[in-house]
Amino acid sequence: MIVRDRFRGLFPKYFLALFMAVAIPLAINGGIEAWFGYRDQRARLDQLLGVQASSAAAEIHNFIFDITTQLGWLVQQPWTDEPDEQRRTDAQRLLRQAPAIASLTLVDNKGHERLYVSRLGLNRIESRADRATNPALVGARASRVWFSDVSYNRGSEPYLTVATVGNRPAAGAVIAEVNLKLIWDVISAIKVGQTGIAFVLDQPGRLIAHPDISLVLRGAEASTSQPFRSLREAIGPGVGFATSQDARGRMVAASAAAVAGPDWTVVVEQPIAEAYAPIYAALWRTAALLAVSTVFAGLLAYALAHRMTEPIKLLEEGTERIGAGSFEHRISIQTGDEFQRLADSFNRMAGELALAQQHQERIAKLKRFLAPQVADLVDRAGDDSVLDGRRTDVVVVFCDLRGFTAFSAGVTPEEVMGVLSDYYAVLGRVIAQFEATLISFSGDGLMVLVNAPVPVEQPALRAVDLAIEMQKRVQKLIAGWHARGYQVGFGVGLAGGPATVGRIGYEDRLDYTAIGSVVNLAARLCASAADREILVDADVAASVRDRRSVRDLGNRQIKGFDEAIPVFGISYDAH
Amino acid sequence: MLAAAAAAWTTSARAQKMPVIGYLCPESPDLFDSRLRAFHQGLREAGFVEGRNVAIEYQWANGQYARLPALAAELVARHVDVVVAPGGAPVALAAKATGTASTIIFEMGGDPVQLGVVDSLPRPGGNITGVSSLSVDVSPKRLELMHELLPTATRLAVVANPTSPTASSQLQKLRSAAETLGVQLRILNASKEEEFESVFAAVASEAANGLVFTSDPYFAFRSRRLADLAIKYGLPAITQTRDFPIAGGLMSYGGDFVQSHRRAGMYAGRVLKGEKPADLPVQLVTKVELVINLKTAKLLGREFSPSVISGADEVIE
Repeated sequence: MIVRDRFRGLFPKYFLALFMAVAIPLAINGGIEAWFGYRDQRARLDQLLGVQASSAAAEIHNFIFDITTQLGWLVQQPWTDEPDEQRRTDAQRLLRQAPAIASLTLVDNKGHERLYVSRLGLNRIESRADRATNPALVGARASRVWFSDVSYNRGSEPYLTVATVGNRPAAGAVIAEVNLKLIWDVISAIKVGQTGIAFVLDQPGRLIAHPDISLVLRGAEASTSQPFRSLREAIGPGVGFATSQDARGRMVAASAAAVAGPDWTVVVEQPIAEAYAPIYAALWRTAALLAVSTVFAGLLAYALAHRMTEPIKLLEEGTERIGAGSFEHRISIQTGDEFQRLADSFNRMAGELALAQQHQERIAKLKRFLAPQVADLVDRAGDDSVLDGRRTDVVVVFCDLRGFTAFSAGVTPEEVMGVLSDYYAVLGRVIAQFEATLISFSGDGLMVLVNAPVPVEQPALRAVDLAIEMQKRVQKLIAGWHARGYQVGFGVGLAGGPATVGRIGYEDRLDYTAIGSVVNLAARLCASAADREILVDADVAASVRDRRSVRDLGNRQIKGFDEAIPVFGISYDAH
Repeated sequence: MLAAAAAAWTTSARAQKMPVIGYLCPESPDLFDSRLRAFHQGLREAGFVEGRNVAIEYQWANGQYARLPALAAELVARHVDVVVAPGGAPVALAAKATGTASTIIFEMGGDPVQLGVVDSLPRPGGNITGVSSLSVDVSPKRLELMHELLPTATRLAVVANPTSPTASSQLQKLRSAAETLGVQLRILNASKEEEFESVFAAVASEAANGLVFTSDPYFAFRSRRLADLAIKYGLPAITQTRDFPIAGGLMSYGGDFVQSHRRAGMYAGRVLKGEKPADLPVQLVTKVELVINLKTAKLLGREFSPSVISGADEVIE
């Protein structure tokens, strides 16, 4: 459970790390982009408003310049003393063509008024009134083109007086009253963005032109012009646009440009919301992109973290199951990386563990009938094919107690079992000592095999020594038993020769055994052996004749054998 | 709930019906057609279209100017949102005389300050503002033009409408101009259509052989009749409206009525949008136009000077 908790903690860790690895650079990039985007947009807006202001100023300038150019046509020819009918026609034509001009005064080189034409008032022809001191005339003579301050007709309509002189004094001068209300056509056509406007202030800051004509008609009032003047002051003489409140109280971005000639200012303004709309749009775009990227980073981090922790989880489960003994369990990871390799090695390990377990089980079985040393040998060989059925030379040893049946009938079962227990304990040790193979028990009898399944050197000698040791040990026991009044003896029979050896039995009850006449012979020899006697057949006797004392006991008739068989006895020192 | 809200909205929308303009007209729809079209154009420029988002109630005086006060009172009684009083000072004065609290937008040729309609041009004061076409101001120019056509004439006839509120001020200006020009004036009165013929007959029989009509809506809307009479009696005449030379009269000099009626429409729209009349200065028409009919001049055996022809905004040939 603790392990599981730790793994549960791994996913958030991976997730967080991967998410940060993607999201943080994205956020930094987004922030930088937004900042530079904002700066660029501001610079663009500044440029845009600047251009709009200059272009608006140029249009206003053109309006005035057109009028002065047309006035120039009236001061081309020198005046004579005669009435100039042609010039009168020209003046009337100019009034028709330039609707902003309300009246024209033509003055000759002496400063005498020669012609006055008006839209509203009566014309004056050749009045010869002295206009030499008229400031317009004085100004025009000084600077060729002269502009008056703006005046308001009946406190409402803004008027400008423009005067210009010809290229020589004889051509005289012309003074025109210009109704500035007509700049409306120009100013209302100027659009700054969607809802932005332009307006014109004169030098003292009075409103001359605005798309809302009703404001212009009150331009002489300080209260009307004040907000416009404030906006112009907010912009100041510096470069760049300013943000301020306009006359309607809305926040605007505004830029100004001067109109050459009459010393006016054109101000263009655009609602700040509209002017900054591209900036806001860019910021929103960046934010949206960031949000999408973050979601994407989250998904990516989730997928990656999942991909990393999922194999770990599978490995964890797999090892738990293998640890619990399910060696057949296989961990399935197809990631093509280290995890798959790890899973594969886990799987290999599980396979090997299964094999090892099978092996252990086999060895445990072997140990039941093999001497521990032999069993270990088989174990070390790692192969139980030695137990496979085959034909080989073996020495079969049988032994049993004489008079045991009679004894067992006369004593309590506890005494019987006690005797058998001691007896087998002694025999077991001897069998182990000589690395012989215990084949079976039956009551007081025992069958032991030498040279199978594991071959040994000089199997006959070993079998004989085994039998001698058995006699020696058992006789010691018998000595004790006699003291207790138990009348039993112990005999051993050995026979050597070829036999079929191998495992017999079924699944869980497998025994190793030897089949052949040599087994029968050994059993019969045992049966005919008296107490303290070790009987061997001719084969065994021949094998050990030189090294142990062998007595020829002559031929004996053995049950199950047609002919009498030569039998030999092995002498042994009882002590 | 939603259906109830929708129903409530519908009823409130119905209850909150279109704003209503009360249009007080001194003439008949037929005679006023060109002016009304200009008014609608201005209203449209301010965002209003009759029948769609504004309703207009009309009162037609059909040339009977004496009925104007009664019609104005009737209009005001209908609680219209804006009263539009176009076509001259009598209409504006009749509307103002009702003492209505509704905003009044006038269209006239006279000087609204002089007539006492407004306090000043930039600050009209009260609930009335509008447009002046300057036609009344330029009456002396008409005398000047006639004098230029007939430079040898020592006596010129002036026709005035004695019922007009601007009559006396116009005559005063004309007398002053006549003095400057060095001509004598023969002043004749006409306030009914039936009196026109006698005026022409009187001038034709006397030494005065040029007719200068003062600015007056009654004259302006009867240009055809005046033109017919001028041709009949072979008299050069000048009125304030271009309708006159177009109908066969000799010439006209006066404010552009298309501009003045259009601006009145725009002002009416702005008031409907919630602007206060006190914030809307009285507008003066920027265009004063001279229209001459050379065909008629030829018929009458007269000739315009080159300066008059070159100064004319429109020449009918």
